[in-house]
Amino acid sequence: MSSKSNYGWLQGRTVKKGSHSSSNSHTRSTTPQVQSTSSTIFGGGIKDPSGRTSEYFSMDDQCPVCKSDRYLNPKLRLLVSTCYHKMCESCIDRLFTLGPAPCPIPDCKTVLRKLAFSPQTFEDLGVEKEVAVRRRIAKEFNKRAEDFDDLRSYNDYLEEVEDIAFNLINGIDIEATEARIKAYKAANAALTSLNLQREEAEALALKEQEELDRREREARASQLAQQEQQEREERLREEQELINKLETSQKDAHKIVAKSRNAAAKRSSARAASSNTTSGLLGMSFGADYAKLLKTRTNKVNNNVPDEPHVPFQDNYYAYDDLFTLRPEGYDDIFSEAVRKDREGIMRAGGYRVEEAWNRALLSAVAGMDVFPLSGLDSEPQPSGEDGDVVMESV
Amino acid sequence: MDAVERENFARQKRWAKEQKVGEGTYAVVYRGREVSTGRRVAIKKIKVGQFKDGLDMSAIREVKYLRELKHPNVIELLDVFSSKTNLNLVLEFLDSDLEMIIKDRSLVFLPADIKSWMAMTFRGLEFCHRNFILHRDLKPNNLLIASDGQLKIADFGLARDFADPGYKMTCQVITRWYRPPELLFGSRYYSSAVDIWSVGCIFAELMLRTPYLAGESDMDQLKTIFRALGTPTEQEWPGHTKLPDYVPVGQFPKTPLRDLFTAASADTLNLLSKCLLYEPRKRISASEALHHPYFFAIPHPSHPSKLPKCSTQMAPRPLEEVDGNVDMTSAGPGVKAAAPSKGKLKRKLTSPMEESRARSIARKLDFTKQANSP
Repeated sequence: MSSKSNYGWLQGRTVKKGSHSSSNSHTRSTTPQVQSTSSTIFGGGIKDPSGRTSEYFSMDDQCPVCKSDRYLNPKLRLLVSTCYHKMCESCIDRLFTLGPAPCPIPDCKTVLRKLAFSPQTFEDLGVEKEVAVRRRIAKEFNKRAEDFDDLRSYNDYLEEVEDIAFNLINGIDIEATEARIKAYKAANAALTSLNLQREEAEALALKEQEELDRREREARASQLAQQEQQEREERLREEQELINKLETSQKDAHKIVAKSRNAAAKRSSARAASSNTTSGLLGMSFGADYAKLLKTRTNKVNNNVPDEPHVPFQDNYYAYDDLFTLRPEGYDDIFSEAVRKDREGIMRAGGYRVEEAWNRALLSAVAGMDVFPLSGLDSEPQPSGEDGDVVMESV
Repeated sequence: MDAVERENFARQKRWAKEQKVGEGTYAVVYRGREVSTGRRVAIKKIKVGQFKDGLDMSAIREVKYLRELKHPNVIELLDVFSSKTNLNLVLEFLDSDLEMIIKDRSLVFLPADIKSWMAMTFRGLEFCHRNFILHRDLKPNNLLIASDGQLKIADFGLARDFADPGYKMTCQVITRWYRPPELLFGSRYYSSAVDIWSVGCIFAELMLRTPYLAGESDMDQLKTIFRALGTPTEQEWPGHTKLPDYVPVGQFPKTPLRDLFTAASADTLNLLSKCLLYEPRKRISASEALHHPYFFAIPHPSHPSKLPKCSTQMAPRPLEEVDGNVDMTSAGPGVKAAAPSKGKLKRKLTSPMEESRARSIARKLDFTKQANSP
């Protein structure tokens, strides 16, 4: 068993059984493998789009501090410090478990902490550093072209960002550059957070779109599978039928075969046709011909009448609204007693509302209140039909 | 000739009856014109004497309520007169109904179109409810479409006014697929919320282009509803287990509407779910619905003149096709321009010939009845 796990046990950490079970892992140098010998979880590293960190891994790995290499120790895992020096997990445990300590690499006196180590993704540590720096810079400097008045100022801004990145990567004027970043941060805090939100929203929309696409694909696939299944079953049944017929019928075998073949052809063409219609039916949102129809419909040059915003009511009936208000505690009338007392709740569950009855009674009472007297009748002559109504209704 | 007869005669003269368009159970429908203006109308002749109690109940209801309702989204009853022993209702002439449009696969609905239809439906319904009238038979083929695209609620044969407290109403109303659960459970005391459920079903149907809750029997209807929306709990719908015809139909889990209506916006689903709430008292009212954010969100509802309609599809078609269809439908050439085109389109798009033919005839009769019955 590996000495590393014993080491962990000595320090009182949990040693997981079976965590080192894969014996052939060291032979595959191309697939990045995370073989942690320490229970400390090292964050950071460069994540790929799926959110995983792939670790750089090679047969020539050697810890620059303790010189142990992969030949001697197949479980060797190298991590990168904030000053971009590699060392193995056991060295990290050894040097930094007791707290922050200076980097063991000669001429580098940076003080390091155990948790600040991160897995290595790229072979070249320069690239590793550049990616990390650029990632950090991009978080702060996230202005967009539309935040600037003209192209010139946007270009100047990009130039400045590039300057800062270059300085940080190559270690030029670190303090001055940090000060510049700080000043920028203070000046643009609002815009930065706004752009951050925008980016998040965009990412979310993209994710939703992808989800939608995926669901469409699934629906289509399941439909197809169902169809195939159906076809298969039908074919089986046909064969069975044919055999039965051949067994029992007195007719010429050739004729029977030809007949059933004919029927099968007819059925398959019918199925094709019906599958067209079902795709029209079920596939409303993604059918190809539906999309075409939709396009012609949207393109139709019928835009001379603009769509108007919604207006809830197009008449002005609600003139009565302010003429009365229902008493919130209701009314104690004998007619609605049954409903109000409704012990069984049968009127309640059906949705009957005694308020509607009260409302109706009150409305009927007040509806005519501010209607003008019939004097208007003389000034505007009524069409003969309206007069007739009265006669008709009295019939 | 007394004054009443004279008046009736004068009135009868205002309308010219043309060819028969169709026949329903209790009425024959003719196309007609207003003599003075040439305006197209539909004249519905009620058969009298066939029923032992005289006039059919639905004719009385129709006259009773339509006489009082005048709104751009409710079919207009222009006149009533009698000829010999028959009663004639003169109604607005309307080209097509929403069911024909939904079934016409060559038409594409934009979300804005659906919004426009829904707004018009809610406006018409709100007008009825505001006047204390329950429609009780809302379904796509009772929503007629005028030539200018306006949607009009028709067929008040099952309508009634809000009941006074404690009075029973019948629960055998509303076409099954659009019938709310409280009626299926036999509630005799209900409210305008029953119409809202129907509108919710129509809303879903406009998006799906196929009936949303299509049950095969009343029992199956309940099961279909619960399968789609989950079995209601006592908390969601207090007291429903005490309704007269309550029967447990099994437990179904709630599935989010989003699973079926994948392309709908959040506002859309919110309004739909409020129309399809189990507890009738919590169901959105027509006027609340008209103030729902769905209607104010972009896209704006389509202007009625831009809404898809069957008849325009019909126009550019070659004449011989029309001939063929007229033969097939056998009700004379000018029956409702759109009905033949629908049959034709249907035939083109689906394969089983006989089925579609039989269907189109059935629908035709059906439709003429509706077009004129309102």
